[in-house]
Amino acid sequence: MALLRKLLPLLCAILIAPPGHAQAPTPASREYAIKAAFLFNFAQFVEWPTNVFAEADSPFVIGVLGANPFGKSLEEIVRGESIRGHPVQVRYLRADEPIADCTALFISQSENARLEAILQSLERKPVLTVSDVERFARRGGMIRFVNQQNKIRFTINPEAAKNAGLSLSSKLLRLGEIVRTGDP
Amino acid sequence: MKYFKGNIGYVAGSALLLSSTLSMARAQTLAMSDAPEAFKKLSLEQLMETEVTSASRTPQKWSEVASAIYVLSQEDIHRSGVMTLADAFRFVPGMQVARLDSSTWAVSSRGFNSTTANKLQVLIDGRSIYTPLFSGVFWDVQDTMLEDIDRIEVIRGPGASVWGANAVNGVINVMSRSAKDTQGTLLTGGAGTEERVFGGVRYGGKFAENVYYRIYGKYFNRDDSALPNRDPALDEWQMGQGGFRIDWERDMQNRFTFQGDIYDGNKAQWSSVSTPTSTTMLNADTTVGGGNILSRWTHDFSEESQLQLQVYYDHTHRDIPQVFREDRDTGNIDLQHEIRFGSRNDFIWGLQYNITADEVGNTYSVAWDPPAKTAQTASAFLQDEFTLIEDRLKLTAGSKFEHNDYSGFEAQPTLRLAAFPNKWQTIWVAASRSVRTPTRIDTDVRINSFVPPATTLQALGNPEFGSEKVYTYELGYRVQPLRQLSFDTALFYNEYSRIRGVDFAPPTTFVIANSFDAETYGGEVAANYDLLSWWRLKGGYSFLRLQMHKRPGSTDTTSEVSTEGSDPRHQVFIRSLMDLPQHLQLDTALRYVDRLRSGNIPSYVAADFRLAWEPIAGLEFAIIAQNLLDRQHPEFSTARRNEIEQSIYGKVTWRF
Repeated sequence: MALLRKLLPLLCAILIAPPGHAQAPTPASREYAIKAAFLFNFAQFVEWPTNVFAEADSPFVIGVLGANPFGKSLEEIVRGESIRGHPVQVRYLRADEPIADCTALFISQSENARLEAILQSLERKPVLTVSDVERFARRGGMIRFVNQQNKIRFTINPEAAKNAGLSLSSKLLRLGEIVRTGDP
Repeated sequence: MKYFKGNIGYVAGSALLLSSTLSMARAQTLAMSDAPEAFKKLSLEQLMETEVTSASRTPQKWSEVASAIYVLSQEDIHRSGVMTLADAFRFVPGMQVARLDSSTWAVSSRGFNSTTANKLQVLIDGRSIYTPLFSGVFWDVQDTMLEDIDRIEVIRGPGASVWGANAVNGVINVMSRSAKDTQGTLLTGGAGTEERVFGGVRYGGKFAENVYYRIYGKYFNRDDSALPNRDPALDEWQMGQGGFRIDWERDMQNRFTFQGDIYDGNKAQWSSVSTPTSTTMLNADTTVGGGNILSRWTHDFSEESQLQLQVYYDHTHRDIPQVFREDRDTGNIDLQHEIRFGSRNDFIWGLQYNITADEVGNTYSVAWDPPAKTAQTASAFLQDEFTLIEDRLKLTAGSKFEHNDYSGFEAQPTLRLAAFPNKWQTIWVAASRSVRTPTRIDTDVRINSFVPPATTLQALGNPEFGSEKVYTYELGYRVQPLRQLSFDTALFYNEYSRIRGVDFAPPTTFVIANSFDAETYGGEVAANYDLLSWWRLKGGYSFLRLQMHKRPGSTDTTSEVSTEGSDPRHQVFIRSLMDLPQHLQLDTALRYVDRLRSGNIPSYVAADFRLAWEPIAGLEFAIIAQNLLDRQHPEFSTARRNEIEQSIYGKVTWRF
């Protein structure tokens, strides 16, 4: 087909000549900088089963699954931090990478269509799931960010956390709106 | 006129495409990042009181827009099972979509539907895709990787104050995802009765830290439509398309997008071909092809001020042997600047220049004088959204001013008022003036049509043809009585003057002229109901009346009946989307489309069905059945009385 003939030089041009100037920081919104702070904060109010960490100094892994909306803000917030003695590590994960090793997982809106499958694969695994995907907590996730009147609030599904073996502090439960899986 | 209708269907005229990428700009949140470390020190309670946007602009919530807007999300498109852009609009209230044969669609908003429907502005990623030949869209060549579409915004009613001439009855904005959001590999393919075989591949990667890219390629081969006696209509076609997109977030202030597509296809197409002594229906091997390249730079001066500069080039080619050939090159440059003054004014202005050059192949049946033409348009627009009462009342006033080679200077103002009595209700009213500027088909065309035994009728363009004008009055109401339930309604009344017709000049000549005034009125309702966490319903109803009135002195004898009879008076759709256990999705849709008096097309009810299974994350198997309730049905008047058949296909999609 003539198409291929026309297409080839174009594709070559793209693949051979990557633009330079790559080290500038990714612009991240204020909104996600706040959400990143929330994410780090949540970890202080959740109890994980003791066997989650293999060693006393195993890292506390915060995964970001799918398109990263945080830019560098999440890394900046956790830099040099540890949670209960475990150094915090941020991992950016693509759809095909294992997620069960994370201690906490932020699921990006880009994964909306696959959300059910993602949550299924985490069933009964002690991973704190957080997202701002629509209806996340009602779809079986644990904590969902909700933008309300220009502020960030969250809904919590305590049942989902309990099933995963996590216990949420009463403070967290008081601040969030409680929902259950399947709620309208 | 009926002798020409078929020909005008694939022939064209020219107009001025003026586009602006306002809504894309709006979709990008601008808020600059404050130092994340500052937030780290805050307690949960303090974080909850932190404002997300510090008086900077935010993308406008669609629920607050003072116009009739409907958004098709990626999920809406994916789960409707449609394989073409045109078919996706069947699930938008207020739009008329009819498939004429295997590769021809008629798509319009709020009436005047035809294969050359000319009152709609359509953009794919900021590139206007209606052809300046007749200011309608060749829907057969409008394709993209459907999986990479982020959303399609459809505005019914005028958008001309920002989008320019031809955004008379609607603006369609197809927006693809950023390359950053389409990382990884996607493979898709399938086969079926009408979708004989199709496949696509996309790969998204990263050149460097903030530079993302994707490339894609796709192919399809579609089966013939059917004749009333069920024989194949011999109008099969195939297309291949490929493209790329690069998104580079250079730093906090500057973002760049580069993208391009290239496509090539051929179709078996029937055309009526006249000679001085005969007329025949000819099945010609039509070739279509084209390509485009676009770059866009977005610069943030501050949280309150954003500039966008976009440049694109587009080439199209179409060759219907013995009937029509067109090669067209279009260049477009578009600058816009949005700026917020204080807390009350959101001001946006823009400049645009467009140049389009064509070269057409003349035949006895269809010719253009001159055979090559270059047309230019320059325009400016400004619009202010002014908050009269905080959180309660907003006024939007704006206008586009443009100059084109056909009708000179045109102004297209709009005034819109939106009231928010509370968080769950919006009421809006609007009044606008817009124009449909003359195109090449209006002024330059010559069509010969031999009628046995010995007559040749001739239709001629008219250099005196002037712009069609319309005043539009709209009223809208949105309400969300329950968290799970929302309604969006709009009523409109349009007053057109100088609508195109063909004046009869005995004995055998027809001349294109501003023959009619017209009015349309109607309403649309869209509803969303999230019944259960796993079951959602979406519905829409549209009502439309169109009345043409011949202007004094006009001798048009045919357009009134054919135009008034080309839009369904009532349309209803209802969609059900179910997420079932075992990773199953079951989606069904029912559509009712009222009869068309033109061509005597009966009303029809169509049922679509989709069952999908995702056994492991990223791998989806789907079976889609369309038009289940009948074996075949006509949707629009065609010379050969083509009918659209039931379609069943299977599809596999794999993301990794």
